[in-house]
Amino acid sequence: MVAQNAAAMWNALRGIVCVYKPAEASVRKLRRDLIMKICKGLNEVDENQYYRPFKPHTSNATELIQQSVDRSVDLRDHPLVYGPKFDELDLSLSWSNFLGWNTSGVLLFGLRSGTQSARYIRENRSSRAYRIKGVFGQATDTGFKNGKVVERSTWRHIKPFHFDKILSAMQAAHQKKMFEMSGIDMQSQLAYELAAQGPIRPINSKLPIIYGIKCIDYEGPEFTLEIQCINEYETYLVGLIHEIGVRLHSTAHCTAIKCIRHSYFNLDHALLSRHWDLKNILQNIRMCNRILAENEHVLKQTSIALR
Amino acid sequence: MFPCILKQVTKNRTAVKRGYSTFKEVEKNSTSVTEMIKNELSLLKDGNIESTDRPAEKLLSTKESRETSIEPSVDYVKTLNQSTVRDYTGVYPYVKQGSVFASSINESDFLKELLKLGVNFYELERNLETIPFILGLRFEDVKDHIIFLRELGLEKHIIGQIITKNPFIFKEDLENLNVRVNYLQYKKFTNNMILRILEKNPNWLSYSTQDIDNKLGFFQNNFNLSGDEVRFLTVRCPKLITYNPEKIKLNIFVLKEEMGLLQEEMKKVILKKPKIFMNGQKRLLNTFDYLHNTMKIPIETIVEIPEILTCRQSRLKQRHLFLEKLGRAQYNPKKPNYVALASLVADSDSNFATELAKSSITVYNEFLKSL
Repeated sequence: MVAQNAAAMWNALRGIVCVYKPAEASVRKLRRDLIMKICKGLNEVDENQYYRPFKPHTSNATELIQQSVDRSVDLRDHPLVYGPKFDELDLSLSWSNFLGWNTSGVLLFGLRSGTQSARYIRENRSSRAYRIKGVFGQATDTGFKNGKVVERSTWRHIKPFHFDKILSAMQAAHQKKMFEMSGIDMQSQLAYELAAQGPIRPINSKLPIIYGIKCIDYEGPEFTLEIQCINEYETYLVGLIHEIGVRLHSTAHCTAIKCIRHSYFNLDHALLSRHWDLKNILQNIRMCNRILAENEHVLKQTSIALR
Repeated sequence: MFPCILKQVTKNRTAVKRGYSTFKEVEKNSTSVTEMIKNELSLLKDGNIESTDRPAEKLLSTKESRETSIEPSVDYVKTLNQSTVRDYTGVYPYVKQGSVFASSINESDFLKELLKLGVNFYELERNLETIPFILGLRFEDVKDHIIFLRELGLEKHIIGQIITKNPFIFKEDLENLNVRVNYLQYKKFTNNMILRILEKNPNWLSYSTQDIDNKLGFFQNNFNLSGDEVRFLTVRCPKLITYNPEKIKLNIFVLKEEMGLLQEEMKKVILKKPKIFMNGQKRLLNTFDYLHNTMKIPIETIVEIPEILTCRQSRLKQRHLFLEKLGRAQYNPKKPNYVALASLVADSDSNFATELAKSSITVYNEFLKSL
């Protein structure tokens, strides 16, 4: 199934790859690691074969051609002289959603021409789901567990009933905001038709909107929330937990943030960094490309409605 | 200090003196080089560019490599300014790594000879300073160095590795190299030990005898090592000896003051796992913090199995949490169902999941995604 030829593999490395980002690692580091592992894998496939053309900045070169070179005459292509055939600078790779340092979960990378798809996914503002863990009773200066505790409070008065009430109020406020942010007169026919379609996406990529927020687990001071949202970022989610704590007449801080879904990609599709080898990456690219082909609107949005 | 004998120091000094005499010879040589450059530049001016088999950039770099010992002659600079020849050394940072040597390997017999030894030119080009240095050398300049290394008993490919890692070994005077090897022999390092030291630490021969003696003395004093133990440590991890002393001092501080290890315990650690002293200070502390405060492993155990300190905190965390979830996080060897710390750190993920955690790799993968 997987080609045994580095040139064929290189030519197949196009599209989206879905990886798992652990907490306490930067996206930049993951990108560097992924590039390094792919290039290392490619260089090990067939060590004695030469490929042309191979000049600096071949990132846009479409196809590689296999070519035999007489090594006794021309030493320029000798692996000890020219270095590895697949240079890390030649592989373009960009992320489509940025996860902060403390966030773990699904991360999409675009490889070579897939960087374009990664950009479209980002600009089309697809929805994401998060699972956030928090603790009542302590507020930290960063809002996350690694910060210094700056305030302590009681939390035993908080019952699941209060919790649900405040969360549904928040969700309702966000739904109202969602229609306001669409930039349409609320009394018009168009606004009615839009509302009939269901939730809609904001016009701006800077405004975080929450579509669904619910508590899935509440034990002792610890709780877990599941949030469906758009345009969010790590500090926003951390701030949200803090706000929930304050509204419940207590304090709270985050202990874990995990992205469990990004448009149609979820944790089952994500590759653990241990599995980053050529075979798995190529399989993952094929799978992600299939998902993108099945759901065209991820790349090409025609409607404002949330899908 | 490591029993340093005065005689040895004086021997080194004489070597330095001899070094001066050779430097003078270099100066003589270099005047002939400048003359040669002048001649070739005049040829270039006349338009016989194709007739010169050496490109001008090489000549310039020849000049540069000698600059360590002599001042550039005024005449040479004048001719350079008058001529249209360009200095290409400024271009090196902007071309792809590996392409400078690739462009000249077919013409240069010297580079071909180095390639036969297995020198990795791609790696050499990582340090831009080596490009003009290597291009400025001739085979006659380095022949004796290579013969010297070969006579020590080093394999051909290992000489190639040494040159790849430390091309500036060619800058060293041959007699100095000899003195440095003699010093090791004098300190009762056997021939095999010396070969291992040179193989594992290609920079070793670039340090003067005085430096090496000080460094060995530093380890002996700080860890109360006997002569045999110093030799053992040196052979076990030759890179540690020439490692940045400031960083080692910092790590000694981490182990002694922040972790609270005793002097004898430090000695045990350095003899068992010298690599720990080359790790980053923050990383070391993070791992220790997790081991001692979260996993509740006593310092005595850490000293017995110091390799657990080299493990990354995130990896330790993943495995410990998995074991804790299964109820198997039991690290006390005196109680039943104990998990060996050494294999907790060293095993591969699949081995860990099946052998230590008595679970399966798919469950472990699922667990990692739930973190």
